[in-house]
Amino acid sequence: MAALLEVKDLEVRYGSIEAVCGVSFQVEEGQIVTIIGANGAGKSSTLLALSGLVRPSGGTVRFRGEDITGLRTDRIVRSGLVQVPEGRAILNPLTVEENLELGAWIRKDRHAVRPSMEKVYALFPVLATRRRQLAGSLSGGEQQMLAIGRALMAEPRLLILDEPSMGLAPLLVKTIFDTIVAITRVGTTVLLVEQNARQALRISDQAIVLSHGRILRRGPSAELLADPVVIEAFLGKS
Amino acid sequence: MSGPSPLRRFLPWAVIVPIMALDLFIVVRNPGDLDRLLINMILALSAFVTLHAKLLSLANAGFMAIGAYASAIIAVKLGMPIAVSIPLAVLICGAVALVIGLPVLKLKDVYLAICTLGFGEMVRVLIILTPDLTGGPTGANLSTGFPYEAMKQTKTWMLVAVLLLLAYLFWAIARSRIGRAFRALRENPQAASTMGIDIVAYRRMAFLMSAMIAGAAGAFYAHSVGSLDNSDFKFNRALDILSYAVLGGSGRWFGSILGGGFLTALPILLREVLGNSVGFLKNFAQLPNIINGLALLLVVIFLPGGLASVFGVRSGRKRTESAAGPGLLSPDKPAVAAVTGEPLLALEDISRHFGGLDALSKVGFEIREGMILGLIGPNGAGKTTLINLISGLFPPSSGRIVWQGEAIQHRPAHRVAKAGIARTYQNIQLFRDMTVLENVIVGRHTHIRTHLLTTLLQSPRERREERHARAEAMALLERLGLDGLAEEHAGNLSYGDQRRVEIARALAMHPRLLLLDEPAAGMNEIETGRLGEFILDLKQHGYTLLIVEHHMDLIMKICDEIVVLNFGKKIAQGTPALVSRDEQVLEAYLGRD
Repeated sequence: MAALLEVKDLEVRYGSIEAVCGVSFQVEEGQIVTIIGANGAGKSSTLLALSGLVRPSGGTVRFRGEDITGLRTDRIVRSGLVQVPEGRAILNPLTVEENLELGAWIRKDRHAVRPSMEKVYALFPVLATRRRQLAGSLSGGEQQMLAIGRALMAEPRLLILDEPSMGLAPLLVKTIFDTIVAITRVGTTVLLVEQNARQALRISDQAIVLSHGRILRRGPSAELLADPVVIEAFLGKS
Repeated sequence: MSGPSPLRRFLPWAVIVPIMALDLFIVVRNPGDLDRLLINMILALSAFVTLHAKLLSLANAGFMAIGAYASAIIAVKLGMPIAVSIPLAVLICGAVALVIGLPVLKLKDVYLAICTLGFGEMVRVLIILTPDLTGGPTGANLSTGFPYEAMKQTKTWMLVAVLLLLAYLFWAIARSRIGRAFRALRENPQAASTMGIDIVAYRRMAFLMSAMIAGAAGAFYAHSVGSLDNSDFKFNRALDILSYAVLGGSGRWFGSILGGGFLTALPILLREVLGNSVGFLKNFAQLPNIINGLALLLVVIFLPGGLASVFGVRSGRKRTESAAGPGLLSPDKPAVAAVTGEPLLALEDISRHFGGLDALSKVGFEIREGMILGLIGPNGAGKTTLINLISGLFPPSSGRIVWQGEAIQHRPAHRVAKAGIARTYQNIQLFRDMTVLENVIVGRHTHIRTHLLTTLLQSPRERREERHARAEAMALLERLGLDGLAEEHAGNLSYGDQRRVEIARALAMHPRLLLLDEPAAGMNEIETGRLGEFILDLKQHGYTLLIVEHHMDLIMKICDEIVVLNFGKKIAQGTPALVSRDEQVLEAYLGRD
C-alpha cells in the first residue's frame, strides 16, 4: 500500500534564500511523524509547501495517491490535509463555537458536524465551558486547543501541527502532547513540527531531522532519541 | 546568494523609458502641456508623502486650491511679486494643515479619507461664498479683477527647478534617519513607537509637508494657467492626485513622479491618436477617466507595489563593515551601582481592566539595577499586559510605574523608549519589508542626532553618524550570529531568527532596562541554552533585564529573582530555588512530576 503522504525532492525558495532544498519523505497512515531541526532549517517552510500556503519551487507532493503539488490551499484541505498554523491563527472576534463551525466549512455531511463538535469538546473539555466566549479572550493555551479543535472539525486524514507547544506553560505543554496521542488513537495521522524535540520524539513513531533545508537523519523516533548527533545538536543533556 | 537576474535588471528601464518617451512625445507635440505635466508630478509627490506615512488623505485638492487662490490674491490684489506670493501661499497652507491636522489626524483609513474630502469641499464652498476676494463662482479671471497678464507669470524653468528641489529633498530624506522612521512607522506603528519614534509627530509632519507641496503646486498652477475656477479643485482632482501616487507606489518617492507623468500623458496621447478616428474609439478617447482607471487597475493587479516596485528592494547593498567598539554591548549609562543596587523600576499596585476582565490586579514589585528578573505564570496570567504597561503602549487603570524615581505610567511609548526601556514582542513585531540591518538601525533612532536641516545640507556629521549606526548594527548582528542575513527582508527569516533580530534591534537602543517577552519561543533546547548564555553576558555588561519565558530550565538558570503571576495576581516572588518549591506555583504553573 502506498503511503498517505509522499514528498519527493521538495524545494522552497524565498527570494535568494533557499529554505528547503530537495527533501523527500513519507508519512504512513496512522502514525505520528515528527520533524525537528534548528531555526531556519526549513521545517515550517516544508509544512507551508505541503498545505499550499507557499508554492514549492520544485519537487512533488502526493497525498492519498494524488498529486497535490501547487494546488490551492482550500483544494488541499478538501482532500483531507489540514494544518494548524504556527501562531494558531484563530479568529479573535468570533466565538469558540463559531471558530469550530468554520473548521467544518468544507464538509458536505452537515448533520455530522454537531457530533464532531461534541468530539472536540470531549477532547478539550475547557473549550465546552467557553463555547460562547470570544476566541480572542482565551488564554494562549486555550487558543492552541481551539486551533487544533478547529482543524479536527474538518475530519482530516492528515493533521499537520506547527509547533503546537510554543509559548505554552509547562503544564499545558503536557496536555497538548497527551492530546496529540489521543488524536491518533481515533485514526488521524499526525505530522508534527516541534522545538520541544525530546517530548515530540517520545510520542512519535518516525522522525526526520532537518538541517539547512536538507534531511540530516531519519528513522524510528526511539532510535533518534538515542542518536549522539541528535542529542548533541537538538536535545542537550537531560 | 545569486544576484538579480538579467530580467530584473532590465525591468526598471522597461518602465522608465516608455513613460519618459511618452511624456517627451506629448511635450514635443504641444510644449504647452509641459507645465501641466510638471505640476501634476509635484502634486503626485504631495500625495506620496501622506500615502507613505499610511495616511489616506484626500486633502491635496483642497490645499492646492488654497495655494492657488492665496498666491493669486497676494500677487494680483496686493501687487506682490510671485517670488513673495508663492512662498506666502505655501506658508498659509502649512498653517491650515497644522490647525486641521490636530483633530483630523486622530482618524484612520476611510474616516480620514472622508474627513479630508469634506475639507476639500469646504475650501471650494468658501471660495464660492467670497466673490469679492476670490471671484466666487465666476472664477478668478479678468471679469472678477484677475487680468491674465497679472496672473500668468511663471516660466517653465521655475517648475523644473521646484521639481528638482523636491526630488533632492525626497532623496535626502529617504536615506536619512527621518526616512527610515517613516518606513518603520508605515510598517508597524506600534513597534516604531517602542523604538522611540514619535508616531503622532511624524504623521503631522507628513500631513504638513504634503499640504505645503500641494499648496506650491496650486500656486504655480494659478500663475501658469492664468485664471482659476473652483471646479479645478473638485473631488475628481483629489482622486486624480491620489491615483498618481497609488500608481507610482507608496514605497519610494520617484514612483510618484513616474505615476504622475504617466497618468497625465496617457489621456493626452489617446486624444491625439484616437481623436481623429471615428465612432466607438473616438468616444473612448474622450473619457480620460476610463483610460486612467484601466491603467491604474492593471498596475495594481500586476505590480501591487506600484511602478516603483520594479526597482526592487531599497539599496543598502554596499558592504557594511562592523565596528565592535567597547560600548557595543553596554547600556548608555552603565550601571555604577552593583547588582543589588538602586531600584531602577518600581511597580506600585498596578491594576488593568479590559472591559469586565481584570487582566492585572494590584501587582507590585521592583527591578533593581543589574539584575535579571523572571516573570512567569500560566498563559493568560497577565505577563504580556504588564510588559505593555511598562513600555507605555497603554496606561494602567490604577497604580504607579516609577522609573528612576519618576512616575512614567502616563508617558507615551516613544518617551518611555527614550528614557531607556526597550522591549521585544511575544508575537514578533519586526518591520517585515525592511532589511534585517535596517530594522536594527531603527533601534538607533533616538541616538542619531539629526534633523531636517542637517539632512538637507547632507552634513558630514550626519553621514558619519549614519555610517557609525550601520557599523554598530552590523556588529550587533554578528554578535547574534545574524550577519549573514543582514540584507534579507526581515519577513523572510525563520521564527527563531526573527526573535534574534528583535533582540538586536532592542539592544541597538542601548537601553538601561530590556524587557524580553518569550525570547526563546520557537527555539530548541540547544538554541535556548545559547540564548541563556547571551543574556547572562548582557547582564555582565551592565544590562538590567525582565524576562518572560516558559522554558523553566532557562528561567531557573539565569534569573536572580522570579515573580509568578496567576489570573492577574502576584502569587509568589523570590529566588528560583524558593519559587520552584512554592506550593501555589507548583499547583498553578509548574505541575508536579
